[in-house]
Amino acid sequence: MSEENNRNDRMSRWVNKSNRSVYYLLGILVIAAIIMTFLDPNFLTQRNLFNVLNQQSTLGIVTMGVAMAMIAGCIDLTVGNVLACAAGVAAIATAKWGLSDGLVILLACLVGLLAGIFNGIIVTKTRIDSFIATLGLMTVYQGLALIISDGNNIYLQGRFGWFGTGKVAGIVPYPVVYFLIITIIVYFVMRFAKYGRKLYAIGGNPEAAFLAGINIDLNKIFAYSVSGLLAGFTSLIVISRIGQSQPAMGVSYPLESIAAAVIGGVALGGGRGTIPGVFLGVILLGLIRNSLNIMRVPSFYQYVMLGSIIIIAVTLSNIGALRKSGSSS
Amino acid sequence: MLSSDIQPGQGEQQGTGPEILLEVRNCSKSFPGVKAFNKVDFELYAGEIHCVVGENGAGKSTFIKMLSGALRPDEGTIIIAGREYAYLTPGLAHQLGIQTIYQEISLAPDLTVAENIFMGQYPTKRFGLVDYGKLREKSHDLLENLKIDLDVNALVSDLNIPQKQSIQIAKAMAMEAKIFILDEPTASYSSSEITHLLSLVREVAARGIGVIYISHHLEEIFSINDRITILRDGNKIATHLKGEATEEKIISEMVGRDLSMFYTREMVDVDYSKAVSFKGFSGGDIRDVSFDIHKGEIVGLAGMVGSGRTDLVRLFFGADQKQSGTVVLEGKEIQINHPGQAIQAGLSLLTEDRQKTGVILEHSLKWNVSVVNMANSSGRFINERAESRNVDHYIEAIDIKTPSMYQEVRFLSGGNQQKVVLAKWLYANSNVIIFDEPTRGIDIGSKEEIYKLMVQLAKEGKYILMVSSDMPELIAMCDRVIVMRQGEVVGEISRQELSEEKVLTYSIGGVL
Repeated sequence: MSEENNRNDRMSRWVNKSNRSVYYLLGILVIAAIIMTFLDPNFLTQRNLFNVLNQQSTLGIVTMGVAMAMIAGCIDLTVGNVLACAAGVAAIATAKWGLSDGLVILLACLVGLLAGIFNGIIVTKTRIDSFIATLGLMTVYQGLALIISDGNNIYLQGRFGWFGTGKVAGIVPYPVVYFLIITIIVYFVMRFAKYGRKLYAIGGNPEAAFLAGINIDLNKIFAYSVSGLLAGFTSLIVISRIGQSQPAMGVSYPLESIAAAVIGGVALGGGRGTIPGVFLGVILLGLIRNSLNIMRVPSFYQYVMLGSIIIIAVTLSNIGALRKSGSSS
Repeated sequence: MLSSDIQPGQGEQQGTGPEILLEVRNCSKSFPGVKAFNKVDFELYAGEIHCVVGENGAGKSTFIKMLSGALRPDEGTIIIAGREYAYLTPGLAHQLGIQTIYQEISLAPDLTVAENIFMGQYPTKRFGLVDYGKLREKSHDLLENLKIDLDVNALVSDLNIPQKQSIQIAKAMAMEAKIFILDEPTASYSSSEITHLLSLVREVAARGIGVIYISHHLEEIFSINDRITILRDGNKIATHLKGEATEEKIISEMVGRDLSMFYTREMVDVDYSKAVSFKGFSGGDIRDVSFDIHKGEIVGLAGMVGSGRTDLVRLFFGADQKQSGTVVLEGKEIQINHPGQAIQAGLSLLTEDRQKTGVILEHSLKWNVSVVNMANSSGRFINERAESRNVDHYIEAIDIKTPSMYQEVRFLSGGNQQKVVLAKWLYANSNVIIFDEPTRGIDIGSKEEIYKLMVQLAKEGKYILMVSSDMPELIAMCDRVIVMRQGEVVGEISRQELSEEKVLTYSIGGVL
């Protein structure tokens, strides 16, 4: 193959369809940032930017797992309530059992992981549509979170604060570091590991993936377990920040994480989407919220706007998908 | 002309002959590259059962689709009840009383027999409430009249397929349809169920309804027809009155495609000392199928659509649950319970429906070609460089036309998509390669390239099984053809004895 062809190939690799949404998103982000800077000079400060990143870190980490499941064609609505369960266990382990911080971290991750594996098994073995199956499971975890904490908030009594509020060199909040590291790991898995490629194949065409010798159920369970694990991990950041666990926490995560993934270019039906796109989707959602705060839009109205943005994003992505199926048939 | 058109009752009934329900005049339909239906004339009389026969691809489904309004003829007219139409729409066909009864049942499973039969025209009481008493009574009368022995209060989901089909027929009667089209109504029926259906069809015809009956089974056709029309390559070859044509005559009219224009393959020395044996495969509709393929041999798997060929190769590949069956490759028995094991053992399956099961349309050519190798080779990470090199190699080796390996497969032509599937399995480097309808819907040029490649693979000492409905292709390519009918192997024909008549006679259940 000639030199020129090689260059063309490299070009088309980076500008091909699945990456295009990343560029759109970058463009939108830059434009939004410019507008916000005009509206409020405080917007483009290091502090505010880290603030946005820090705020989005919990949603961001959860979204990485949700996006992996979505790429494999699976919806995971349980992340919020799994987070609440893990939070409850972690808070009890800290406040009542007095376990060391390291063990607490392990325990919360383990709770998330087990929940994820369980979700995966239920979805794959019952063959219920994953949306409905996890909708049901979501309620199960809601109940479990209440049972674990006996319906009460559990206070950490001043312990564990460092995990969610500490800063590297006094500048970069720990959660931002976690978010970036996890994003990079998930990126590498989805881009270079066979696991990732299999998830894309399963989401793209399950029957073709099955006939190519890919174990559909096992890989889906894997995707759900990552989603659960990351939800469990995120619970630690949340309880550390607010100094307590609440059985009803995390309710906004399922919808917002799906929205961020879809805004980032992940197809609702699976098979498409990139991790850089998902990352930008999370940031864009945070930027919008931040802007609304700076413009002092009352929070009740923010809900309405956020919901509308989610519907619009999903609709646009669906229109794209419809046009695609139209052109291919 | 092979035979002239003879109308029933010619002579004595002239002028007062039976009413013509449907007349098709000079109808044609083309698809890119094929003339699926060519200047066909056809009439259907009230009260007659008119059988239509032909090989796979003879134009039967095109015909049905034009009558049910799913396809528009390019030229010609359809005359129903004295009015001419250039084409029908599904709504219009319904209005004109044309009912197509398919095997995939279009009934509401959770409603009762009575509710299904009179759906959309329930008798009502005051306030628009359904008069169930009257509904049951009407349904009961109708079923009794047609000699269908079923409870009108039974749920449709509790019925078996033949029973559901009789309910569909009753429903069509209730809608006062004039023309019934039955497309392969008895596939997968037992013989008593067939007898049952045939007598129901006769009952229906006796009430002045015209029935177009499409079937692959000769005994059935001979027992029920008033007339038989034979299609071949989209042409009407002949229409015969009952009893006028013998089995041999009909088969001879169904075959006879021009083979001289067809591909001539290079012959390969087959190594008969080595073989892959498929032994005792059963499962689903497949019953106890066994055969061998030798090293370097291309074996064809023929049979009518629905004879179980695709089901069989899916069993071989572990894609469906089997009841029994083992594979012995060069003396070694191999366990295959899922496709992963089949691939590890060196089997490939190029499926029949490219877009549904072959490629991932939204993924790049590179991802598609590498997926089998990626999923089944050792290691946790993808070696992008080696992958690109290999994909590049296959793009060149089998000449896939694409701007780059990062092109999404949905933008490629059918022929190139099929080559992507081929490349993916070549990359997996299998020994036993099963092709299911490898050339369906692709252009002549790509077809020949695929034939060439198959011969090349045979030369390399692969074991090749080709499922095909394309008779000239089977005859041109295969060292041996195995014929299936209703889930069983019914015949095996060597290359020396291979002829269209033989294959067809076996597949249609005729006597040699």
